[in-house]
Amino acid sequence: MNLDRKSVYTVAKKEFTDHIRNRWILILIIVFIMLTLVASFLAGQRSTSDTTLGGAEETVVTLLSIAGILLPLIAIMLGFATIAGEAESGALALVLSYPIRRSEVLLGKFLGLGGILAFTALVGFGVGGLFITISSGTAQILGFLAFIGLTVLFGLMYLSPIICLSALLKRRVTAIGGGIFLFLWSPIYDMIIFGVFLATSDLSTTQIMQGGSFSLPAWMWWSIGLSPSDLYETTVMKAFNVQQAFGYSMPLPDYLSTGLLIVFMCLWIAIPLLLAYVFFRRRDI
Amino acid sequence: MVTQTIRCPTCHTPMTVQGTPGQRIVITCSTCKASGQFTFPAVHQDQGQTCIAVSHLTKTYKDTIAVNDVSFTVKRGEIFGFLGPNGAGKTTTLKALLGLIHTDGGTITIDGHDIYHDGIQAKKQLAYLPERVALYDNLTPTQTMQFFCELRGEDPSQIPIILKEVGLDQVSTRKVGGFSKGMVQLLGIAQILIGHPSICILDEPSSGLDPRWVKVVREKIRQLNDAGATVIFSSHILSEVESLCDRVAIIDKGRLIAEDSLEKIQSVVQVKPRLEITVPGLKGKTPKVLQGLSGISDLSIRGDVITVTCEPSLRGKIITLLQDGGYTVGNIKTIEPSLEDAFLKLVGGSAL
Repeated sequence: MNLDRKSVYTVAKKEFTDHIRNRWILILIIVFIMLTLVASFLAGQRSTSDTTLGGAEETVVTLLSIAGILLPLIAIMLGFATIAGEAESGALALVLSYPIRRSEVLLGKFLGLGGILAFTALVGFGVGGLFITISSGTAQILGFLAFIGLTVLFGLMYLSPIICLSALLKRRVTAIGGGIFLFLWSPIYDMIIFGVFLATSDLSTTQIMQGGSFSLPAWMWWSIGLSPSDLYETTVMKAFNVQQAFGYSMPLPDYLSTGLLIVFMCLWIAIPLLLAYVFFRRRDI
Repeated sequence: MVTQTIRCPTCHTPMTVQGTPGQRIVITCSTCKASGQFTFPAVHQDQGQTCIAVSHLTKTYKDTIAVNDVSFTVKRGEIFGFLGPNGAGKTTTLKALLGLIHTDGGTITIDGHDIYHDGIQAKKQLAYLPERVALYDNLTPTQTMQFFCELRGEDPSQIPIILKEVGLDQVSTRKVGGFSKGMVQLLGIAQILIGHPSICILDEPSSGLDPRWVKVVREKIRQLNDAGATVIFSSHILSEVESLCDRVAIIDKGRLIAEDSLEKIQSVVQVKPRLEITVPGLKGKTPKVLQGLSGISDLSIRGDVITVTCEPSLRGKIITLLQDGGYTVGNIKTIEPSLEDAFLKLVGGSAL
């Protein structure tokens, strides 16, 4: 595939400048940054133990759940109209009348919108990390940067599929529907998996609800491959050796290595993006 | 002899120069006194050569045929009008020229480059104005123009001058999201002026603009053409096409029903303007002086109003005849033939 880097960069820059000034995106980014700041400040006050992230297991778990909701929302808001909406309005027809390939437009959009997600994660978690470092006194910059990196990947795991849906669906309205489905996919999928687990497990519901320590069957660990939110949370926990979350102690199995989990995350980005290209190339603008 | 408006590279003052294609002249700017050389574009050398060739283009959407076996050619340097009622297939055909849609059959070449196999080369020459211009709400006109300049590999220093030309210089730092439809359309026109496009494809360029800007758009089309650009534009307004085009293609229900010079089509269609003359006190009687007058047709009287179809040159004669016959001539109205009239003639009335 021939790609002109300058064209890709031009589209990426335009997408970034346009969307960073979008009122709703801006509000979400500010909410995200505020929440991470408050969370890291409060948790940072309490943490004393010294682990990989400078003593902030609570902070990481809190940040994880904030990012788990807000980053997919931002990614979906950024991406749902990028092809369906612009094709409907006519903006895309004008851009594609210029000497640029569809692959370059698509990649430029992905990188530009991804840049906004990276910016959000970097500012939100970056300042959060600073708080932790100050309050715990231990500087774990590399570890925290890796955490931010995984969070950016997580955002892209939603950006890539929503661009794919936007390339596939004909109208802006249906693309919004696609976005809602994507946003709810992980929790719905989790409920199904959990239901199957309850139905097949020896453990009683009460035992599970009380928390404590128990191990999950292998198929359940593999099933997270299809849920972007769980993949992200598991990868972070595995990478930073966080074994307790919300009262559950869950030792992560050895066969799920950090590397393997990151490969899964990357597949969630690469496959939908390739599909998006297939749909976009076939599309009448 | 060609006339071209150029801008002083130092102070950006526009000036008009005349010369022959390929000629090199030395000019001095009247404002800043800087002097330099200017070479007239040589594109006129291959004027008259085919630059766009469309053959057997067919496009189907689900079960409707939008464009049915359409073939035509556009020659270098001409203004080509693409005429047809709404929904005739004009936009679909123009979009196909840009490679925006996947056709079911046929080939399109732009200066020998196939739009589907060699799109980048083909599109390097094209500038396009969509029917409904849509841009990015959160960018300013300057940022929007910068984006398009970069896509075309053009120098962004021309942006302020172009924005001034289309009257958007006062709002160049405001977000496009707050613009009216007309202003967005003007920004759309601004982007086709970037660089010196050799082929301009304009889809209903004056739709949604108020009359003052319609005039400006027509002047821009003329200017682009004078500077050597081939212009293709679609319209459903006959007078617009008449005032600008060298050649015309007429499309209806996806089929090309005529492709020829404007004069030829006019002579085939023979649509003349209609004259409405109010003669107070006529009361439905046909004035004797008009009976048997050659060159007029469809004479009808309704109350005090005479309606007659004739050449515009006969207008004065008819009025003189009426006045000589003792009639008081009141209101006179000329009704330009509509495109519908032309279609009715061309397709024999059955197709509409």
